Amino acid sequence: MMAQNNVEMRESDRPPLSNARLGVLVLLGAETMLFSGLIGTFLVFRVGNVTWPPPSHIGIELPRVVTGINTALLLLSGYTMFQAWRAIQKDSVKQLRNWLLITGMLGLLFLGVQGSEWVQLIRNGLTLQSGVYGGIFYVLIGCHAVHVLSAVIWVFIVFGMAMAGRFSASRYTGVDTCTIYWIFVVALWPILYVLVYLL
Amino acid sequence: MYRFFFWVSLLMVVMLIVPTYLEACPACKTLDDPIGKGFNWSILFMMAMPFAVFGVIGGTVYLHYRRANRKPMD
Repeated sequence: MMAQNNVEMRESDRPPLSNARLGVLVLLGAETMLFSGLIGTFLVFRVGNVTWPPPSHIGIELPRVVTGINTALLLLSGYTMFQAWRAIQKDSVKQLRNWLLITGMLGLLFLGVQGSEWVQLIRNGLTLQSGVYGGIFYVLIGCHAVHVLSAVIWVFIVFGMAMAGRFSASRYTGVDTCTIYWIFVVALWPILYVLVYLL
Repeated sequence: MYRFFFWVSLLMVVMLIVPTYLEACPACKTLDDPIGKGFNWSILFMMAMPFAVFGVIGGTVYLHYRRANRKPMD
């Protein structure tokens, strides 16, 4: 009875917003400011140049179609991550593992396609040192790719924890925070795609 | 206190009447220039972001607490 009361006390004492969730929100706030700085820099160059790409880079075409398909893959990974989150809420650890694995694989596929695109672009002469166009492209898209990579690592860590049976319907903070971060990384990409590839 | 408000009000009136003499931002003078436009869009975008960030974080905290306060009544 005493133990039960203690558990009830502890549950009632829990803040409505967990520290972990608040921590991730603050982290994402900082990440948003980092990306807004980079997007702001891009806007100065993009709007400031009448011809885009600049005359020195005419002939270099960004792979819009392949990146469009890649965007769809990343958006799909957002859906699978959401399904993983829903699965653990229903206490289905097996489904959680499957959805996490699919999400991680989709993330790796996205990075693989991006990597192959970069190799092609470097061969075509678009490098970090080739001018402002190459510089802002690799910094902005590269910064996002680093975030996707860290999110993929995080997903696989959560997957490993799920394999070890560390999550249940009443205890899934790890899945929760990872989902928030993944959704942020996924939601950011279409904005960057439209700005860098389509505008 | 009265003096302070008087001078601030006077300054605001002067700013409204003679804005061309009070341009502090060199980029704003070249708005027809593409670079000026680029800076302008960039400034507007980055100026909006802190509000968006604090709005989302504050909104999330508020919604969580509101939801938690409603629960005992249900």
